[in-house]
Amino acid sequence: MIYAVFAPLLFAIFVPWISKFKDRIHTGTFVFIIPFIIFLYFVQFIGSDFNPIRQTVNWIPSLDMNLDFYLDGLSLLFVLLISGIGALVVLYSIFYLHKSEKLGHFYVFLLMFMTAMLGVVLSDNVFVLYAFWELTSISSFLLIGYWNFKERSRYGALKSMLITVFGGLSMLGGFIFLTIITGTTSVQAMIDQVDIILASEFLPLILIFILLGAFTKSAQFPFHIWLPDAMEAPTPVSAYLHSATMVKAGIFLIARFSPIFAGYEGFFIAVSLVGIITLCWGSYMAVRQTDLKGILAFSTISQLGMIMAMLGFGTQAAVFAAVFHILNHATFKGSLFMIAGIIDHETGTRDIRKLGGLLTLMPISFTLALFGTFSMAGVPFPFLNGFYSKELFFDATLGLEGVAWLAEAIPYLAVFGSIFTFVYSMYFLFGVFTGPKHLEQLPKKPHEAPFGMLISPIILVLGVILIGLFADKVNQPFLLHAAQAVNSGVEYHEVKFWHGFNLPLIMSLIVVAVGIILYLTRTKWNGIYNTLPGKLSFNRVYDWIVEKLDQYSTSITKTYMTGSLRTYMSLILGTTLIVTAIYMYITDGFAIDYSNLAEITTLEVAVVITIMIGAVATLYMNNNIAAILVTGIVGYGVSMLFVIYRAPDIALTQLVVETVSIAIFLLCFYHLPKLRKREEPVSTKLSNSFIAIGFGLLITLVGISAHSSNWYSSISEYFLENSYKLGGGDNVVNVILVDFRGLDTLFEITVLGIAALAVLALIKMQKKKGAK
Amino acid sequence: MINLAVLPIVLPLLSAIILVFFNSKVRISRLLTKIFSLIGFGVSGYIAWYVIENGTITLETGGWVAPFGIILVVDTLAAALLLTTNIVSVACAFYAPYSGLGEKENYYFYPFFFFLISGVSGAFITGDLFNLFVFFEVLLMASYALIVLGGDKVQFRESIKYLLINLFSSMLFVTAIAFLYGVVGTVNMAQIAERVAEVDQQGILTTIAFLLFFVFATKAALFPLYYWLPNSYIVPSPVISALFGALLTKVGVYSIVRVFTLIFVHRIELTHEFFIWIAGLSMIFGVIGALSTNNIKLIIAYNIIPAIGYMIMGIGIFNQAALSGSIYYLVQDMIVKAALFLLVGVIAYVAGTSDLRKMNGLIHHYPVLGWLLFISAFVLAGIPPFSGFIGKLLLLEGAFRNEEVIIAIIALITSLLILYSIIKIFIRGFWGDKDAMKGLTIKSTKGLIAPIVFLLAITVILGVGAEYFYPISDSIAIYLLDPDVYIDSVLKE
Amino acid sequence: MEILILILSGVLFATAIYNLLQKQLLRIIIGTILLSHGAHLIILTMGKLKTGQPPVLMDGVTEYTDPLPQALILTSIVISFGITGLLLVLAYRTTQENNTDNMEQLRGGSHD
Repeated sequence: MIYAVFAPLLFAIFVPWISKFKDRIHTGTFVFIIPFIIFLYFVQFIGSDFNPIRQTVNWIPSLDMNLDFYLDGLSLLFVLLISGIGALVVLYSIFYLHKSEKLGHFYVFLLMFMTAMLGVVLSDNVFVLYAFWELTSISSFLLIGYWNFKERSRYGALKSMLITVFGGLSMLGGFIFLTIITGTTSVQAMIDQVDIILASEFLPLILIFILLGAFTKSAQFPFHIWLPDAMEAPTPVSAYLHSATMVKAGIFLIARFSPIFAGYEGFFIAVSLVGIITLCWGSYMAVRQTDLKGILAFSTISQLGMIMAMLGFGTQAAVFAAVFHILNHATFKGSLFMIAGIIDHETGTRDIRKLGGLLTLMPISFTLALFGTFSMAGVPFPFLNGFYSKELFFDATLGLEGVAWLAEAIPYLAVFGSIFTFVYSMYFLFGVFTGPKHLEQLPKKPHEAPFGMLISPIILVLGVILIGLFADKVNQPFLLHAAQAVNSGVEYHEVKFWHGFNLPLIMSLIVVAVGIILYLTRTKWNGIYNTLPGKLSFNRVYDWIVEKLDQYSTSITKTYMTGSLRTYMSLILGTTLIVTAIYMYITDGFAIDYSNLAEITTLEVAVVITIMIGAVATLYMNNNIAAILVTGIVGYGVSMLFVIYRAPDIALTQLVVETVSIAIFLLCFYHLPKLRKREEPVSTKLSNSFIAIGFGLLITLVGISAHSSNWYSSISEYFLENSYKLGGGDNVVNVILVDFRGLDTLFEITVLGIAALAVLALIKMQKKKGAK
Repeated sequence: MINLAVLPIVLPLLSAIILVFFNSKVRISRLLTKIFSLIGFGVSGYIAWYVIENGTITLETGGWVAPFGIILVVDTLAAALLLTTNIVSVACAFYAPYSGLGEKENYYFYPFFFFLISGVSGAFITGDLFNLFVFFEVLLMASYALIVLGGDKVQFRESIKYLLINLFSSMLFVTAIAFLYGVVGTVNMAQIAERVAEVDQQGILTTIAFLLFFVFATKAALFPLYYWLPNSYIVPSPVISALFGALLTKVGVYSIVRVFTLIFVHRIELTHEFFIWIAGLSMIFGVIGALSTNNIKLIIAYNIIPAIGYMIMGIGIFNQAALSGSIYYLVQDMIVKAALFLLVGVIAYVAGTSDLRKMNGLIHHYPVLGWLLFISAFVLAGIPPFSGFIGKLLLLEGAFRNEEVIIAIIALITSLLILYSIIKIFIRGFWGDKDAMKGLTIKSTKGLIAPIVFLLAITVILGVGAEYFYPISDSIAIYLLDPDVYIDSVLKE
Repeated sequence: MEILILILSGVLFATAIYNLLQKQLLRIIIGTILLSHGAHLIILTMGKLKTGQPPVLMDGVTEYTDPLPQALILTSIVISFGITGLLLVLAYRTTQENNTDNMEQLRGGSHD
């Protein structure tokens, strides 16, 4: 199983090499083999006696993150879709993509996606599932951006990535929460601990986290907006990722976690409601589209909403119908996408307003589209699989328990949404193939597609018919296992065409009848279609967010990143001051202790006052020399204090440094512009004063408190005792410097050395510049 | 064997001094730089192995017992950071000769480079608070020199702001050390920790803790103290930006980790709770900054800030998972940031501009650069299987365990926006028309790609091979949660 | 007396910061110098002022002032000196290159 998952990725490594021979043999020919073999491998598991199998390969056991693959009925359904449709799509792409395209890239991304998607549906480990999940987003991003010279492609790629990665991250949050609560990273093990999860106070949060992941991926309202833009991808990609597989990952996720959340009312409300709204919104929006792929995109959204809603109902009937529809949707929608691709390929346009009357020119395509659209619309014929699951869906909407208002509204909404499904299906079929021809408007002269291109849709349509005719044959060995993985209570019921004249059938008939009327009178409704929803589109919300994000981030950043040193300093100092002061107050940090202080002498006071005056005077000097002198006075004053406080070494150093500094100062100041009078607005003065005085006060207060909280004697006792004995020197300060703390001194000299080197470099640079 | 601890400081110091004498011989300088950086890499690798096998190395410099002499302490945390530092240094050493430094190489570039490494290494392993200040000054002094190297107008302009802000925070650092000395009578970190614990961090001590936090937060570029960073990091040449981005802010983060897991851990509800807020705001404002600009270098520079936010978030949450996540994130971010700065350096060089609005369709000419950027976007955003994911996962786990849901949500949204800010470069700069950029001449990227690949490969190893690295970060977290282990290894009472 | 010195340090910090917040580079440099004086005085005060002889060992003297702060100050003075030196040269060159000593004109930057 593990080989099956990673086979596409491993093969992708050779693709760039294979693609070198693309002029002779289309790269897709080789790539086709991979999904085909995977499909054959998994087909063998179909059977009534199927039992889940598990295969584990250790990856990061210490984080409980292992490649733990689990194949049950649900994942079997998905892997067959992924590999089966995958094979057909690759086959189709051989004829769709010309050899002059960058085939290497295309197939590498496609194979990457295949591995990712197989990983998503097979991983039992939530974190590995997440990893594959993001990989599907990434490969989808690359495939949508395949024709990245188009602005729309880039836009669509970014949009899909932002929305799906957002959901992925949210889902990750939910997963982490679940692992913390249950102490396991395995989904199956979590299901065993459903009681603990349901009892958690964080349950609503977890649910929201995970639902966001599923809704974004499966293009549920209002996150559906990325899917129509994803249609910029080459059609094989749309058929594969954005209809049959990747967008169903969210469905898969909900199905997978259903056993956990099904017992929680919030799950029913959220999933059913969002699903049914998506169904209605999507089908309504599809009617408004003029681009063939646009119709199919909204159609996909609406169908996904329908499946989602059924999973939300969670009843036996609903879950079975959901699983059945996953399969059916893949067949008819896949074929329709391929037909749309063929029409685009052969006529050069996908604009339904330009198309029409292709029936005689492309009869095979028409036949295929006929089956596809009728199946999608749920037309009651025994050879259309879409009808069966649609009928089961109606059945499932009836008699729901739970929140009353929702349960009552659901059947009506279901019919409403299905009516529009019928309308756009007809619109698609007849708009393209019947009616007047406008051949002169088409960029290319249309004719039937080459046979190779038709193979894949033919196979899919055969699927539609066969599943329809022998619905019960896929039920027991295949679908039942899948449904039971979602809801273990699902029992075998025979799927039949004729159930008697019951409510679901009446609903179907209403849909068909009203649908026909709406379709025939379609021109009258155009006014409504064109105005509603108009500006209410969620696309605008997305565009607004992205635009404002850029705009506001720029304006916010510009307000404080002014480049002004004063702004920066004020903000830094202000924050430090205010926060520290607040915490000093909160912790009651201030302390003062008058004992143990040195006495105050007149000399000292005189020196202190001199320094203070000097310091304050620096603010008012408007003359270079005077400013230096005043600064010098402060320096010498400080040296004086060092003398008084028995620190001869420092005093001496300070004197030397002070003198040298002043010399350098004078030299430098000579070149610096003259001091000007300080001119600043009062507000600036006030804020400067506040920060300066506040900070000074803070330092004084903290200093006094620190000094008064002298709880420990200094380690200096040791230095005094051992300076001579061990250090061999009388001058304790010197011994400390060169011996006890020699490392300090070594690097202090290093600092000085670097400074000297830096000055040297500066001078050298200047000389060089001067020479130029 | 025990003298091993001094090598990470002394080797680069000696390298720097030797290189001063070969300043005019560029070829020899380059060769020696590569050799020295490889030696440093080897030594730090050996030290890391040794420490993981045998436990913390302590070295009493000059033979004076702690707390009286200066003690060097190489524990697992320091060893991991030393190794990472040297990995970055190797990549930069091999990148530098090709990066068009030009005459800058004659202005003692290589000596400053090693002085910087020496200062950074010293900061990681010193066990003495005042000595930490000294090493800060060593690395800052080297950074002052590096930032102005080349002597452009803008470089002078930004370097003087950078210097002044750092000078203030250094002076505040000294002052805070003095206050602490006034209370507990020592500057040895282990002894400070011991004594602060004895008096239960009462009275003025928490205030002093906050002063120290702000000193380190300024160096680490946390909200709202990071203003100096973005512009000053983009004016020097890419290799210098990479060194800064990878190492300088991380020294600040390291200091916060050290001081607030070892010393000030008795008022967590005040200090660490505050850090969580700061972390959240750093993420938001940092990433907003990254989105605000079209200058690709600036985008990367702003991205430093949310990453620091992640690390501080882990310290704020202060449980095993979160601390382990912080450490993991710290190590991997050093490597990723270096890679990204080097990468945008190359991109700006080949495109002839760092303005994203003037770029288009570069992938048709420089596919390798494009894909490297693409991968690094996911590394940075923490998408599996890359290294950022493991760190982020642990941080989130830690946050949820402490029921810090808000910060976790902020962290998640931030990583989305980080991804957006980088992928924007890919979409706008690399995708597009082949011939959109007129006058684009194809330049050689010889020698510039390999170091980037080397760094990104390491992030992949850190992600995919987390089985080998996670236990280390986890043991560091356990170790950090129990300050007595550090104290005992230093004071040996 | 300690309190008085601490007040003095506070004044030095306040004036230093006020100078640092100025536009003209020269004033800012003066600010940094005042700042280091303030910091050094605080280190000195934290080691108790004047409780004995200078820390030069002599027979018969048992009371000495605390030598450690003095050592720290010495280190710090030297480092400050290095930075001030570089700062001065840098300031000079910055002014020369940019033709102004007004930090407000050195904002630089288009933020684009």
